[in-house]
Amino acid sequence: MPGISRKVTSALAVTASTALLATACTGQASSGASDDPSKDTTITFWHAWSAPNEVAGVKALIAGFEKVNPNIHVDVVGNMTDDKMNQALRAGGSKAPDVISSFTTNGVGKFCSSGALVDLNPLFKKAGIDPATTFPKAMSEYTQYEGDRCAVPLLGDAYGLYYNKTAFQKAGIAGPPKTWSEFEADAKKLTVPQGDTYKQLGFMPDYHGWETTTEHYMGQFGPTYFDASGRSTVATDPAVADAFAVQKKLVDSLGGFQKLERFRSGLGDEWGPKHPFQTGQVAMQLDGEWRLGMALDAKPGFEIGVAPLPVPDDRADQYGKGYITGTIAGIAATSKKQNAAWELVRYITTDTDAVVGFSNAIHNVPSTLEALKSPKLKYDPRFRTFLDIAANPHSSTSPASINGGVYLTTIQQLGYDYESGKVTDLKAGLKKAAAQIDTDIAQAK
Amino acid sequence: MAATTHTLRAKHRRSRLRTLAFLSPWLIGFTVFFAYPMISTVYFSFMHYDGFKPPTWSGTKNWTYVFESYPFFWPALRNTLWLVVIMVTLRVLFGLGIGMLITKIKTGTGIFRTLFYLPYLAPPVAATMAFAFLLNPGTGPVNSLLEKIGIPAPGWFNDPSWSKPALTMLALWGVGDLMVIFMAALLDVPREQYEAAELDGATPWQRFRYVTLPNISPIIMFAVVTGVIGAMQYYTQPLVAGKVASGVIQGAGTAFEPGYPEHSTLTLPQLVYNLGFQRFDYGSACVVALVLFALSMAFTALLMRRRGGLIQAGD
Amino acid sequence: MAQDTAQLLERPVELKLPATPAERTARRKALLEWIAVHSLGVAAALFFTLPFVFVFLTSLMSDSQALSRDLIPHTWEWSNYRKVFDTPGFLTWWKNTLIYAGLGTALTVVSSVPVAYALAKFRFRGRNLTLMLVISMMMLPPQVVVIPMYLFWAKQLDLSGTLWPLIIPLAFGDAFSIFLLRQFLMTIPNEYLDAAKVDGCGDLRTLLRVVLPMAKPGIAAIALFQFFNAWNDYFGPQIYASENPGAWTLSYGLESFKGAHHTDWNLTMAATVLVLAPVLLVFFFAQKAFVEGVTLTGVKG
Repeated sequence: MPGISRKVTSALAVTASTALLATACTGQASSGASDDPSKDTTITFWHAWSAPNEVAGVKALIAGFEKVNPNIHVDVVGNMTDDKMNQALRAGGSKAPDVISSFTTNGVGKFCSSGALVDLNPLFKKAGIDPATTFPKAMSEYTQYEGDRCAVPLLGDAYGLYYNKTAFQKAGIAGPPKTWSEFEADAKKLTVPQGDTYKQLGFMPDYHGWETTTEHYMGQFGPTYFDASGRSTVATDPAVADAFAVQKKLVDSLGGFQKLERFRSGLGDEWGPKHPFQTGQVAMQLDGEWRLGMALDAKPGFEIGVAPLPVPDDRADQYGKGYITGTIAGIAATSKKQNAAWELVRYITTDTDAVVGFSNAIHNVPSTLEALKSPKLKYDPRFRTFLDIAANPHSSTSPASINGGVYLTTIQQLGYDYESGKVTDLKAGLKKAAAQIDTDIAQAK
Repeated sequence: MAATTHTLRAKHRRSRLRTLAFLSPWLIGFTVFFAYPMISTVYFSFMHYDGFKPPTWSGTKNWTYVFESYPFFWPALRNTLWLVVIMVTLRVLFGLGIGMLITKIKTGTGIFRTLFYLPYLAPPVAATMAFAFLLNPGTGPVNSLLEKIGIPAPGWFNDPSWSKPALTMLALWGVGDLMVIFMAALLDVPREQYEAAELDGATPWQRFRYVTLPNISPIIMFAVVTGVIGAMQYYTQPLVAGKVASGVIQGAGTAFEPGYPEHSTLTLPQLVYNLGFQRFDYGSACVVALVLFALSMAFTALLMRRRGGLIQAGD
Repeated sequence: MAQDTAQLLERPVELKLPATPAERTARRKALLEWIAVHSLGVAAALFFTLPFVFVFLTSLMSDSQALSRDLIPHTWEWSNYRKVFDTPGFLTWWKNTLIYAGLGTALTVVSSVPVAYALAKFRFRGRNLTLMLVISMMMLPPQVVVIPMYLFWAKQLDLSGTLWPLIIPLAFGDAFSIFLLRQFLMTIPNEYLDAAKVDGCGDLRTLLRVVLPMAKPGIAAIALFQFFNAWNDYFGPQIYASENPGAWTLSYGLESFKGAHHTDWNLTMAATVLVLAPVLLVFFFAQKAFVEGVTLTGVKG
């Protein structure tokens, strides 16, 4: 007779499971494009910025929007990483954002193909704005995937070389290096050892060194990443092998992996007051355009120089190019206030004065052609380098992929293994990486 | 006659209802929070689901992917084996050692006991961050001391050969709970047995082997079993250690790297998080979850067999 | 004077005869053992306490010194603690952790007691099966069921970004607490229960009036463990609360502290101290219950 209670339990379990499964499985019903943007409403905006000056810049930007659209209030939440945004976009519900802004363009492929972010082409058309003539070419490209424009560029990033001019003078180097061979020579000259570690390191080449990722190194070598059929080309593209080789040479000639890693682990925070370039511990730094503003704010005891990163020796004529990426913004498909959200997106990404003001505040590259030409753009003359890199026709970005940045992670993993000496056969490693990338993409389809 | 059987049946029914009533919270909990998700997990492991589009059937695709192509799976399994064999063993031994030590300390036992126990109370995140700081190869106090003495200082959480030993040190630091139960068990050993052994001329080692060990073996078993369960669920410490040591902060275009350095701190639970909440491949995440489940249940079964007494028959 | 002599006479006289060689060796051996044991003890004590000390010292360093190899701060920056307190969200983390731990513990105790009692004192077919299931649930890593559970809480009930998915399940019993309490309740002699029945008490009243008062140590133990678990939980908040900074707990907030707030080790260590301190303080006040609770798990198991 107690068997009944057991049977009841299992029956309960099965019915409960099937019922819950059935409901849990249904996809999202998009229902948000029916709101009235002229009514009083509140929308939520999630972004990834966290440094104090950036947070203030966002605040000012939003304040400008609310002035023009007094009926739309915006709740701003910062420091939201991609993981959290992805989670919220999938969960939907009352706590999900209406507008998101992400630091990486990697997710665009996933966002567009899965329908997580709304296709903005119809909204652009209705507003009479042509994205092709509004945004710079590369930026327009990295915000869409297979014809679906689910994102808009919200300021851009360009990567260049920061160098300690005072240290350069002391070492007797006339100007910034233009090729990787020159770079290696300069880095060695600028390295001043101190016992078992460094008083001043010419350059921190390790892939864990914040911005010195495989992705950013490769920006100077121009790889294709994928062929026409979507298969990975890292095993066959000489640009990729070259990039790995150059970095390895740097690691070996600057003291070896162990010594460099030990030094790196004792350095300050990337966003904190003790950034090693700002303290003079590292003489050259591969970093994005935002670093200029931050470094100047830290009032370092030396003169800061800015230049494009070096190019491969055999492509010296391409000097001046760089890696560009940027922040993207989009409207969540689960949002119930998409029309109001569009007003915000349209303002922050296409209103020239708004874009210029925001760019001035956080020292990022403006993302509209109009803004790039605006006389109201305030920047340190050294910042010009980044604007030029952004406009340079040879500058490259990393293509969108259906599983987001997973392929970049795979390449990065190989980088970690290669720089530490765990993997010695680069060719074999690249072949393995290419196979892994293809398998991962197949898995995500 | 009919009356008695009727009352008896009624009594039985009442007692069954009573049992059900008292068990009801757990029954609901079991169904909703254990049985349902388990069935769901099995179901999802055969589906392709990314959280946006409705799930579609994918058969064994996820299973093949996890076992053959997912680069983090086998390192995580190897790490789990390492943790079970080495970390659990060391922790039990160290706990026993400290327990024995404390029973021998006659002066200031209370103070010593408190000091030994305190680290166990530290929240795992706080403890891990403290150790990541202490063992920082560049600026941490431990390495400064080692170098002053002239011993080569390892890379700890930044060196793949030292990251698990560093995590083990962290686990040994928090051995307070084992110390207390071993201490209680050791004090429970009947004195007469020790005295009898001494009279027989037993050496200290023989006394330990033939008197102490048999008496405390149930506690040792308990410590091993809970240790293994902990090793299977080991998630927070390796994750936090890897993140802090790598110095890579999420955001600004950096890709997440599980198990820094070089997969040495990867554990199976971390894979569930990576697949499910970073790659959003819910199907494959469920596959790993099922592997984790199978391993845990295998150890449970082992426990049931060896220590049937865990379920004391009671009255 | 007379009093002193009287006292002297009352005290038993200890004759100090010269020690025999055997006694001397024995005493030397005992002394050596005392020294050895206590040296080990001191060494162990250093191992267990030095990390706390270093963390505390670093928390008082200035920004520039935090990255050096110095062990002692040059200037004692107590303001670091002020800075951590003023960090946006820090007090919210406190509040959330207290709610999660407090409410969770209360719910666990209330729901686990009847189940443990039934498993300890009732006889019914399927009791062993139920017990095995409880034990299986105890062994289960939370990651095994997190995917469907997350989808359930987030998509069905729209509760992601809150701590409710962690608190609500505790209202339905916690396997570990049930098991522990059951072991404890089994040690309560049945005579008490029989006596209560003779007095006319039903099962519920027997539980409440007779058993509970005797079960106080066991209940205290499971309450402490559950509070502890919730306080230290990292995985749960990471899954359910991460999207909403207003729902973060201390463990999750601390982990994100270093990067998110552009801090170096000094402030991070100050935050760590503030997360460690309350637990240590509670321990000092509830020492006996803590130790008893841990003993209960091991010895009775």
